[in-house]
Amino acid sequence: MDKDLFLQHIRDQFEETDPALITFDTIFKQLEEWSSMHALLLIALIDAEYNVPFTGEDLQKCLTVEDLYNTIKSRVG
Amino acid sequence: MQTFSLRGKTILVTGGSSGIGRQTAATLANLGGRLAVNGRNEVRLAETMAVLTGAEHYAVSFDLNNTQQLPAFVESLPELNGVAHCAGIWKPCPVKFMKEQQLQALLQTNFIAPALLTAELLRQKKLMSGSSVVFVSSVAAQHPYKGGGAYAASKAALEAFSKTLALEYAHKKIRSNCVAPAMVKTPIFDDTQNTVSEQYMQAHEAAYPLRVGQPEDVAYAIAYLLSDASGWITGSVMRLDGGLTVGS
Repeated sequence: MDKDLFLQHIRDQFEETDPALITFDTIFKQLEEWSSMHALLLIALIDAEYNVPFTGEDLQKCLTVEDLYNTIKSRVG
Repeated sequence: MQTFSLRGKTILVTGGSSGIGRQTAATLANLGGRLAVNGRNEVRLAETMAVLTGAEHYAVSFDLNNTQQLPAFVESLPELNGVAHCAGIWKPCPVKFMKEQQLQALLQTNFIAPALLTAELLRQKKLMSGSSVVFVSSVAAQHPYKGGGAYAASKAALEAFSKTLALEYAHKKIRSNCVAPAMVKTPIFDDTQNTVSEQYMQAHEAAYPLRVGQPEDVAYAIAYLLSDASGWITGSVMRLDGGLTVGS
């Protein structure tokens, strides 16, 4: 699983945020742009790009972009 | 009160293996209807059959998306006095991530399958004069939500289709109506909760002046629309939402 590409995918979902502000340490729900729509976008992104189960509950447990990456990586196998 | 009874009526229920469809079958059987219950999953369909009162019902297992075999399936059905189209699926997807295959799959199950089933029932003259057809739409058809583009579109299509059917078959005394429920506690509710989180669903539940729906709430409305008591109602959409959209 390509880590740089993953970060790029995440950055693409935040169209109003400077991409440089989004790193693996970013607490994404604290981004000014964050909304319930982004929860939907991230879940759909993970389904479309990585084809692994990922729910709203999973999203709640993730704090940083790194957490997201690790959760998905563990499921991609 | 004879007009509210379904005694003497033979009714096809689709989506009968779970959720609203299963409860609708149970309620219609209680009201005296003789049922042909359709579902894809034979095991779960058998579970539905086991809870029906009365003995004259039968299970008709078939995947309604199998359009090639649809004429043969309809041929196997008895003459009908009513249809409750309850089969449906739900999957959220923001517009940006929509892909042809997923969009097709959702439209196929929620709109094309019930439309083609209705057409085939009419071609084979399975719907008797005085029949009532009920489609399960959704409050989302008129009040969409983020991520619901495909689902809301499929239900809006169903509502327009139902109204067309009402116009085309009024002269045969065949009526067509929709029920449009908001959130109902079915397996789809659990799916939604898994997708959007429990916290979000609790906030959503709090927005209902009465409460969120139970499958029985929808089943009773369907039963009314299938009964002769609703004989003057056709082409309508009955909103079932516990007051959710009253103020909007």
